[in-house]
Amino acid sequence: MNTSSVVLHAQGLTKSYGNVRALRGVDLEVQRGEVFGFLGPNGAGKTTTIRILLDLIRPDGGMVRVLGLDPQKDSLAVRARSGYLPGELHLEDAETVETTLKQFNALRGRKADWTYVRGLADRLDLDLKTQAKNLSKGNKQKAGVVQALMHRPELLLLDEPTSGLDPLIQQEVHKLIGEAKANGATVFFSSHVIGEVEQLADRVGIIRKGVVVEVAETQALIKRALRRARVRFGGGIQIPALEGIPGVSILSRGADSVTLQIEGEMDALIKALAKFPVIEFETERPSLEEIFLAYYER
Amino acid sequence: MFTIFNQSMRRWKWQIVGWGSSLLIIAVYLMWLYKPMVEQQAQLKNLFDAYGKEMLSFFGGTVDIFSAGGYLNFAFFSYVPVAIGILALLLGSGLVVADEEKGTLDLILAHPVTRTALFWGRWLALVATLIAVLLLTWSGFAVGLSWTGLDTTVWQVLLPHISLLSILVLFGTLALFLSLLLPSRTLAASVTGALLVVSYILTSLASVNDTLEPLNTFSPLKYYQGGSAINGLEWGPLLSTLGIALFFGALAWLLFLRRDIRVSGEGNWRLPFLSRKMKASAANHANLR
Repeated sequence: MNTSSVVLHAQGLTKSYGNVRALRGVDLEVQRGEVFGFLGPNGAGKTTTIRILLDLIRPDGGMVRVLGLDPQKDSLAVRARSGYLPGELHLEDAETVETTLKQFNALRGRKADWTYVRGLADRLDLDLKTQAKNLSKGNKQKAGVVQALMHRPELLLLDEPTSGLDPLIQQEVHKLIGEAKANGATVFFSSHVIGEVEQLADRVGIIRKGVVVEVAETQALIKRALRRARVRFGGGIQIPALEGIPGVSILSRGADSVTLQIEGEMDALIKALAKFPVIEFETERPSLEEIFLAYYER
Repeated sequence: MFTIFNQSMRRWKWQIVGWGSSLLIIAVYLMWLYKPMVEQQAQLKNLFDAYGKEMLSFFGGTVDIFSAGGYLNFAFFSYVPVAIGILALLLGSGLVVADEEKGTLDLILAHPVTRTALFWGRWLALVATLIAVLLLTWSGFAVGLSWTGLDTTVWQVLLPHISLLSILVLFGTLALFLSLLLPSRTLAASVTGALLVVSYILTSLASVNDTLEPLNTFSPLKYYQGGSAINGLEWGPLLSTLGIALFFGALAWLLFLRRDIRVSGEGNWRLPFLSRKMKASAANHANLR
């Protein structure tokens, strides 16, 4: 077993579907034991990247290693050690969830502990005796989560893991991901639910039009990103004094207050404000969502 | 591969039961029908003489239908490749592409199973399914044989089934190959079905029209013995048919190894020229509005 600290490594990954360039050179590195959130809107290349990692589709160019292995040459080993939840889960309609899970388990050499599987189903409030055709989207998703986790893989590749789930079950899935991490698993999950990424991910990668535009620790990204400040002046708004401060832009203005966006250090702004009567000064950190949107507005 | 084979057999068990039991009943009925037919031999001969050669060619030609081989061919084996061929081409065209179009293949292949194991495991299950259906059919003939007085043995009756199996495997595998080449399973099944029907018509008519013989060389059903196989199998045509089936199987396997697995919703992409035509049509429509 490869114990290298890098579990996922992609370099210059490209993939086109006809004239559509889905990936234009994806570079990624995911460390062992971390939860990595892959953020991007629909069509950005998240699913394509994950499917290349499992050799479901072949890249046009670039290099990829999963668990230190080439997914094309060592696809069996990669898949044996991974758990995958597809973005759009489809199950065999005529089969019950239990039969489907048993069939998947048979493909893995019957390695899953069935007590653990039942425990997972209970926690997600999933009835294993239901036929797939009678499952709601949410319940299908639960079955998908169970099949991804049931053999306790060392790498989890989850494409939109909480899609279609109600908030309570979403929290349970978050807990399961946390437990997998605590047990040493590496989790790579894509999402466009930014709150989820913010809550779960140690690091986050933002993909935009087939290129990873940012990879950073989630909290560091939030800290170093744009802040917002609201200033209430005692003697009218001093707009001219605020214009031209490096990294500061005016978002909105009220009768006696102004909302500013600050990129980087706040020192210049505070020095400029010090010359005027300021009644109130509030700052707030942006959410990951705002950071994400900022990347997409560029 | 064994797991994939088992799972495929489990999935197709109702196909085996449905097709197998229907054909078994037909076989028993045909065996039961033989005696009354022999009793009315004279009238039937007059009736068949009234039919044109072309008409009879679709039921095995102008052979003695009161001999064992002639009767089995006339009553069953002459047309049954088209009937059971439908099962073969439906199974073949859906062998991997049905799951792909449903969106379930993605998840199966994310498990530790190689594409080779998946492909050949399922192909073997296809062959085993056809064998099971034909064994049930044969058992119908075997049961009926005891009261017909047909001058043949149970083991001789098995031989036309083997010839039939080779043709079914060929068309099933051809459908599989086309499903990996053409945009959808439906199109692959339709094209294979059309080829099967054309082959049946061509080979039937070639038996009464020599000018069709050069073309008939390319018809798979020319190499199918039908009921006459009870007198012994012609190994050359039989092995050639199976060899060609394996050739298409190998081509399909190579296509599958190189394939980007589509996800659900991508299943019905159109041929490029059709797509262009539809775009042009849509543009014209929009301009007219």
